[in-house]
Amino acid sequence: MRLRYCGPFFGAVGALALLLAAEPALAQSRAETLRYVTGASVNTLDPNVPGSTREAFAVSLSTYDRLVSFGRKQLNGKWVFDLDKITGELAESYDVSPDLMKLTFHLRKDAKFQDGTPVTADDVKWSLDRAVTAPVLGKAQLLTGSLTSADQFKVIDPLTFEVTLPKPDKLALPNLATVYPIIINSKVAKANATADDPWAISWLKEHTAGSGAYVIESFKPGEQVIMKRNEAWNRGSPDKSASFKRVIVQTVPEPATRANLVERGDADITVDLQASDIQSLESKGTLKVVSTPQYNSVTFISMNNTIPPFDNINVRRAVAYALPYDDMFKAALFGRGTPLFGASWTDGKPTTSAFPFPQPIKLDLDKAREYLKAAGMPDGFSTTFSFNVGQASTAEPMAALVKESLAKIGIKVDIQKLPDAQMSTQINEKKLPFFTEGIVAWLPSTDYFYRNFYTGNQRWNYSSINNAELTATAQEARFEPDKAKYDQDGLKLNAIHFAEMPQIALWQPSQDAVMATSIDGYTYQFHRQVDYRDLRRK
Amino acid sequence: MSSLPALFGVLVFTFLLMRVLPGDPAVFFASGPNAGKEEIEIIRKQMGLDKPVPEQLLLYLYDVGRGNLGRSLMTGQAVTTDLRDRLPASLELTLTALLIALVSAIPLGVLAALKPGSVIDHGVRLFCALGVCVPTFVSGLLLIYVFYYLLGLAPDPTGRIDVFTSLPPSRTGFLTIDFLLAGDVDGWWAAFRQLILPAATMALFVIAPLARITRASMLVSLGSDFVRTARSVGLSWWRIVVTYALRNAILPVITIAGIVFSTMLGANVLVEKVYSWPGVASYALDALLSSDYAPVQGFVLLMASIFVVVNLLVDVLYGIADPRVSI
Repeated sequence: MRLRYCGPFFGAVGALALLLAAEPALAQSRAETLRYVTGASVNTLDPNVPGSTREAFAVSLSTYDRLVSFGRKQLNGKWVFDLDKITGELAESYDVSPDLMKLTFHLRKDAKFQDGTPVTADDVKWSLDRAVTAPVLGKAQLLTGSLTSADQFKVIDPLTFEVTLPKPDKLALPNLATVYPIIINSKVAKANATADDPWAISWLKEHTAGSGAYVIESFKPGEQVIMKRNEAWNRGSPDKSASFKRVIVQTVPEPATRANLVERGDADITVDLQASDIQSLESKGTLKVVSTPQYNSVTFISMNNTIPPFDNINVRRAVAYALPYDDMFKAALFGRGTPLFGASWTDGKPTTSAFPFPQPIKLDLDKAREYLKAAGMPDGFSTTFSFNVGQASTAEPMAALVKESLAKIGIKVDIQKLPDAQMSTQINEKKLPFFTEGIVAWLPSTDYFYRNFYTGNQRWNYSSINNAELTATAQEARFEPDKAKYDQDGLKLNAIHFAEMPQIALWQPSQDAVMATSIDGYTYQFHRQVDYRDLRRK
Repeated sequence: MSSLPALFGVLVFTFLLMRVLPGDPAVFFASGPNAGKEEIEIIRKQMGLDKPVPEQLLLYLYDVGRGNLGRSLMTGQAVTTDLRDRLPASLELTLTALLIALVSAIPLGVLAALKPGSVIDHGVRLFCALGVCVPTFVSGLLLIYVFYYLLGLAPDPTGRIDVFTSLPPSRTGFLTIDFLLAGDVDGWWAAFRQLILPAATMALFVIAPLARITRASMLVSLGSDFVRTARSVGLSWWRIVVTYALRNAILPVITIAGIVFSTMLGANVLVEKVYSWPGVASYALDALLSSDYAPVQGFVLLMASIFVVVNLLVDVLYGIADPRVSI
């Protein structure tokens, strides 16, 4: 009887196993294909469309060329992008005038769009005009390099293109290597433009008209993108050779499944696994794990400097000395990153002009209590600590530790976990008193960080700090041509940051790229995605 | 026709509910580096959020009346396109799961009812309890771990079809049917292999209610007078159980199956996530998290319509199972 009732169940399992046993026949050559799996998704083929995702940025780097691109350098043995080495992509070479006000680009004579027509200076002009005038994301980005108007772009002859700047802005050239200023085939785009949409924004969302290394073969928003190599592409270098014939970008929402896929060898590379999975994969040693500190990003705990009690500098300092940094670093990141706490400054002054920088703060409850007393709140206060659901895997353990530790000096913390859209809305409205966030700068120069994240009444000024000296110094540094003076400004800004303690920098998380051992050439890029052109199979 | 007012109510309610939620989609989608006030305004205008809510509602109702459910910011596509692409995936998965569940639950329920209180009965109860206790993402990950990772029997759990297999011309949207229509046996096999694990995961979860209701209603009909009469006249065991008892016991099972189907379709989001299944439920969840209004509204409307259709279908099935019922 026992067997009889088990029958259907075991029968079903047996049938299941049998059904699954056949081996699949692979149509394409697997070795020449790169399969990249990600938790996010590609939602547009034009990175300029408002709302486009980071995965869409990565795809656009392969489908479109820009005038220039970043070189790479080694940082602690890992390859990372190099902001100071700008090489030509569609431009064969470029000249910068001595007063830094004029950039001249000499286009490649042999560069062709994917439809076979040559790339001309007119296409470059149309594309950059679009980036600064159309309602696209490129506008705000290029503004940071003093590129604001179509009048600045001039066609000299079909292969020469000139950019004029109102001020000697160091970030003008690097800005042209970022994601947005893609060079579009203007004839094709214009043919698909409408009266309402002269810049073909809605057409380019679902079609490409570029000269990039890869051609879109199929695009299913939210599921997958398949690209094949553009055999006529010759903008590569040994570092960026676009060696795979085919690239598959696939959305796999579950991180454990992504880990399984890479471990089984069915996927070649992924960059967004959970820290715990990465540790176990690394210890098994069958895969290559490249951990690069995201040196253009920082995770911090922010305090709204305009909301009491955080408007009191001593309260901010008290919080800074009451956080259990080491425990948080271990619990949230499993130690995978670069800490920005516990530095030692011999004479009390910053040791670097770069940002983000390590600060000399560590857990010291007695000191925290003193600051709290100086703030006139020896018995503490109550507040809420917020983080978004998307960051829960790192922020949740961190929040628990923050709550526990602050309770020791009398600060009662309620943890608030918010859906991502709600969190960004509340940050934008400056309603959150105490929360954690992460920021990233594509062009990580000190003044850029300070200008974007510490000045003005705008969304990215998380701490809502309004310090006249900081604002003036950051503005001055922006156009400072002299390196030594620029460093002086950087040191000054960092000193103000430490003195004011608007928010507490915690660490730079690592970007953990997990890949098959046969994959080579991975480089950490400013957009924090994989540039598929970098990779090759050994 | 009588369900139209209900659908209209659902439509308006969802619309208002989404506006009441505290997340602002424009701020969320304008979160690229350097996206400032201007970008937020662009998106707001694009979504029509710059107008007052009553006007937005009227515009939305007008659009829905013309079959336009709006545009999703998340995928950049029209919501109708997204749903049309994704609904067959969800339906195929859910129908297969329901089939597996019915085929295993009804015999289990009948067996349990034949020997109430016996080892079989307790065994079925234990199996059902396990199935319902283990959340689908746990059983899903477990099945993946065993059949894909350890044994290597299952294909990689990434969607409806192996990325290297070319798709058949889309006729019904159901891959297994499309492959058969195209006469591509290898393709059918590939699609079927992808389908079986997620379907089994979902089935495990719904076997319990189906088996329990079968057991209960079988017990009632086995204890009834007509079964005693059938026994006394010496009819065969099979005939008594299947023709007389089961046929009379099947009505509540159909009702429950209808409800289970509707819930499965909307609630299989965890299975869809674990297996990267491009279905409507995971689509709606992503949209909800990012406060993307149009897809959520479209999804709820779709689910409400499906519920109406399923109820109708259950009524028709009643008529077949029990001739006394007329619709």
